[in-house]
Amino acid sequence: MSLSTGHMDSKPSASRVIGLTSPIPTASGGRNLRQIVLAVVLPAMVIAIWQMAGKDGSLFGGVLPTPDRAWQAWKVWAFGSTGLSLNPYSGTWLANLLFSAERVGKGFLAAIVVAVPVGLAIGWNRVASGALDPTVQLLRPIPITAWLPFSIAVFGIRDMGAVFLIALGAFYPIVVNTAQGARDVERNLIRAAMMMGAGRWTILRRVVLPASLPSIFTGLRIGLGIAWTAVIVAEMVAVKSGLGYVLWDAYYVGRMDVVIADMATIGLLGLLSDRIILLIEGWVLKWRRLQSFHS
Amino acid sequence: MMGTIAFENVSKTFSGRTEVRALEGISLTINECEFVALLGPSGCGKSTLLNLLAGFEKTSEGVLLFDGKTVTRPGPDRGVVFQEAALFPWLNVWQNVVFGPQVQGIARAEYESRARELLKLVGLEAFAEALPVQLSGGMRQRVGIARVLAMSPRALLMDEPFGALDAQTRLSMQQLLLDVWQALGTTVLFVTHDIDEAILLSDRICVMSARPGRIVRTIPIALPRPRSIASLTSAEFVAYKAAIMSDMKVTHAPQT
Repeated sequence: MSLSTGHMDSKPSASRVIGLTSPIPTASGGRNLRQIVLAVVLPAMVIAIWQMAGKDGSLFGGVLPTPDRAWQAWKVWAFGSTGLSLNPYSGTWLANLLFSAERVGKGFLAAIVVAVPVGLAIGWNRVASGALDPTVQLLRPIPITAWLPFSIAVFGIRDMGAVFLIALGAFYPIVVNTAQGARDVERNLIRAAMMMGAGRWTILRRVVLPASLPSIFTGLRIGLGIAWTAVIVAEMVAVKSGLGYVLWDAYYVGRMDVVIADMATIGLLGLLSDRIILLIEGWVLKWRRLQSFHS
Repeated sequence: MMGTIAFENVSKTFSGRTEVRALEGISLTINECEFVALLGPSGCGKSTLLNLLAGFEKTSEGVLLFDGKTVTRPGPDRGVVFQEAALFPWLNVWQNVVFGPQVQGIARAEYESRARELLKLVGLEAFAEALPVQLSGGMRQRVGIARVLAMSPRALLMDEPFGALDAQTRLSMQQLLLDVWQALGTTVLFVTHDIDEAILLSDRICVMSARPGRIVRTIPIALPRPRSIASLTSAEFVAYKAAIMSDMKVTHAPQT
């Protein structure tokens, strides 16, 4: 008897699979351009109004510099000024940016390394959940700003204090989302793995972890936002370098143009790092992307 | 090859705020290589019965034996095919099929050729690299069958595996299952609410009723083998169907 019954399948589906290799319609080039234009309109308008409202380069009686002055300040901050200058920020932009980025990187990585396993344990194992979750929930309402004195007292005015605050701030959203993801794994996927002879450890590694990845990435994105908040707060108080330190120091000596340039830098860095996570997510969760295109 | 199943006066109660008696005094013996269908309306406990045998749920009372040993947990000797296939969406077709042998620590050389044969058997050798989401429902269920067969189980437990498919796809899947079973001859316990499907596939139909779930009647199906979907229109088939329909009407009249 013939075993080939594929011809009766209502959807032979080869075309569907091939169609999926280019899920983005060809018209998207034009659509992307339109979206970029749309996105730029509002900030461009705000900057233009802000610029025009200023008199002699500032608003509110000299308190707030206009965008062009902030831009000039950024250029000096970034590339230094020609000739002799007493500007203490001259040419230090990249160095300070890297200080902050490095702290965020270290703290965020530390948070991932601890929060993902702990989150999986809480979501997957009842004993771990009972032992760990109440403590996490108890500590979570304490804002990272409230940890500042503790951090300075324990770590002093050093890098470690900032990294600690960042890791702590990023830890909570990652752990909570990971646990949620691990709890919500479809029951039949677990049963299927058990039926195929997988032990608990294998199920955790090969089923629960991949099934939780969408939630984990949600946690990572929220956690990274908090990491940037934490680094600025920590540098304003507990360290003597980085974008947060420059921000507070510039305010202190009345250089609002540097303050604005600093704020813009922080915003752009946050945006960039979020895009990087999104990019990694898109690559890791290819199976999910295809799924959402279908539904 | 073995694959004998014995329910001896098995009951199942789900505890909770209100206790639910899902199964009551089930006694059922299934022989090696036999194809048995559990037929009944939804809520009659037929899936619970299958879950007990799979080891997903524990019996409340009675004895449940698989090849003479008490069932305590799930295992690759009893391959389960789920209604929605339950493939791992992040693995491609090939990775899904070899998942079982892999996690059991079987050497690649041992399972590879068999897995490839099975993909061919279910007509998906061209789709080894495809992700489940890129497949139609019928194709996904073929993968679900192939991955179970990759473990060489002694029994196949199928929980309304074609229930979510359109009529035409369902026919082709039934044909596929008939062919596979003809070739491999494993014991099959097949849960369905479709009378045609039960008659076409099985050697014996156990008709179940609900609240509490029990087996009310056992009907041997003596249609000649090998069967095909062409049997669906034979006079014998229609006679069986008429008998079962009138029978079920009597059994379930108070509920409708």
